[in-house]
Amino acid sequence: MSPIARSLRPFASRLLAQKLPLSSVCRAAPASFPRGSVRSFSQSPLSQLKKYTESHEWIELAADGKTAKIGITEYAAKSLGDVVFVELPEVDLEVSAGEPVGAVESVKSASDVLSPVSGTVKQGNAVLDDNAKFINQSPEGDAWIAEIEVKDVAELDGLLDEASYKATIDEE
Amino acid sequence: MPALRRFLRASHAFHWLSQHRSPIAVRWNSSFSANQFAQLASRQSSKHQIYQSLSSDPYVNLSIEHFLLEHAPADSSILFLYINRPCVVIGRNQNPWLETNLRVLHNDRDVADHDSENALYVRRRSGGGAVFHDEGNLNYSVISPRTSFTRDKHAEMVVRALHRVGATNTSVNDRHDIVMSLDGASAGEQSPRPRKISGSAFKLTRHRALHHGTCLLDSPNINSLGSFLRSPAQDYIKAKGVESVRSPVANVSSVFADASVPFGIQDVIANIMGEFARLYQTSPDAVRRAQRAYVHDPELYAGDDWVVGAVGEAEGYQEPEIKKGIDELRSLEWKYTQTPQFIFSTYPVEEDPRERPALPLSLPPSTRIFLRLKHGAIIESHISISPDSSIASEQAVRAHEALKGRKLHEIQPTQWKEVLYEQLGAEEDADTIEELARFIATKLGWV
Repeated sequence: MSPIARSLRPFASRLLAQKLPLSSVCRAAPASFPRGSVRSFSQSPLSQLKKYTESHEWIELAADGKTAKIGITEYAAKSLGDVVFVELPEVDLEVSAGEPVGAVESVKSASDVLSPVSGTVKQGNAVLDDNAKFINQSPEGDAWIAEIEVKDVAELDGLLDEASYKATIDEE
Repeated sequence: MPALRRFLRASHAFHWLSQHRSPIAVRWNSSFSANQFAQLASRQSSKHQIYQSLSSDPYVNLSIEHFLLEHAPADSSILFLYINRPCVVIGRNQNPWLETNLRVLHNDRDVADHDSENALYVRRRSGGGAVFHDEGNLNYSVISPRTSFTRDKHAEMVVRALHRVGATNTSVNDRHDIVMSLDGASAGEQSPRPRKISGSAFKLTRHRALHHGTCLLDSPNINSLGSFLRSPAQDYIKAKGVESVRSPVANVSSVFADASVPFGIQDVIANIMGEFARLYQTSPDAVRRAQRAYVHDPELYAGDDWVVGAVGEAEGYQEPEIKKGIDELRSLEWKYTQTPQFIFSTYPVEEDPRERPALPLSLPPSTRIFLRLKHGAIIESHISISPDSSIASEQAVRAHEALKGRKLHEIQPTQWKEVLYEQLGAEEDADTIEELARFIATKLGWV
């Protein structure tokens, strides 16, 4: 196919594709996997409870297997520079995978924080309201941005594990 | 003639496309009508795009820009140039009550206001501080892949263009702004502080980086633009979020004040396009077309891997995604309730211990006004007049009952008067209450 012909994918379908930037990974975990199968999250070793996205978010599932904290990675915090403001999500906000669950501003730059999976916001991290810089100090620790109730834990399976995430950074 | 062949191939391609979407009239000279803007801009092969806007509506221009950020191919490089009617544009996480003089920008409540010639108040989607725009200010916007992006890259590009038109005293400073050094000082004197001519802001997405900047070429308001950016409430407000850094400004045209050659905005535009093309290896055909496209009609030109041309209001409103962006930017929710938490207090408090100016003589010195706002709504308040502390606290409780949860931008001066009269009228006289309402409305941008 010539480059031009390839570019002629209907506009609408491309729009759709872009609205769900994580669709390919998220849908990778089919609902048909029965709970308790080898791929089920509850049987993953602890080290896999934390997952990453290509857009530099992390998500860590709590011991209850339902709620998860979301934040930005060390790499993201470093590349953004001094964070001056964090926009926290409203409680009860429903987000789909790939939709903003907050935003950070650093050095005149606004960047969305995308939710790695679908869910409902339980709380934003109020500590960041008063101390946005905390993100630079503990991006993958206490400076998480949102806590959500995960809609379908299987969605986490489609995300990057630590090694694959590290590999995407090295590419950049 | 290779250029022509490329044009023809492009038009052939769109002819094919027309069978799948709305009919596209392909003209012999390969120009496209502007209603194909959205399609051409998001075409996978449109790696290089250069546009100039025919609209001076800041909501339209920011929304076209946002559309390009979201929908152009991830590996494309885009230059978009526009000039807005007079407006104050604040950063995404700023406070309009603190950063602007809302009294002169207060024209977004009535339909009748839409035709107002007055300056507009706009909140953009990128970060950074508040700036003033008018017809002498050129906005440049570069959207490029995030991986190769640096914050100075495009300001440097604009500086190279400015040097080409003769403004060789411009450079990028450590805040990613463009400044102009003044050599007015005579020998031995300290040279004056450089003047800012351009400010930058950024929006980053997963794969893309948007850098937009102002460039004060020849603003007729250069001496008064500070008045739009000075709030009557700055002594009373302490806000979370992002505060602007004030800088002395100048017009690039001031360099040429004594020169015989006139200074032309279009000349600067052509040079910025040229420097953009050098930076991103855009085809010379594209640049030539882009440089000539500004004239009158919204018209687009496309080659194998490029699109250039002029876009305007019509494109903005035709494309649903852009229209959505315009509506969002225009909405009072985005403009006001997106504001980070802040307090307004006429007396020193722990969070904001600054000395306050004396209240107007028309108000008793015991008058206290304190408001705490979240998402633009009052979540805590203390408004009282009485010098007796127990009466004062009763007044404050009653007033808060009436005010809690209300959105500040929605409380009109007459409503302040009503609320305060109902809650404080038992103890205070009507004139004092009227003065109090007027004071609040003045500080918060209504009158």
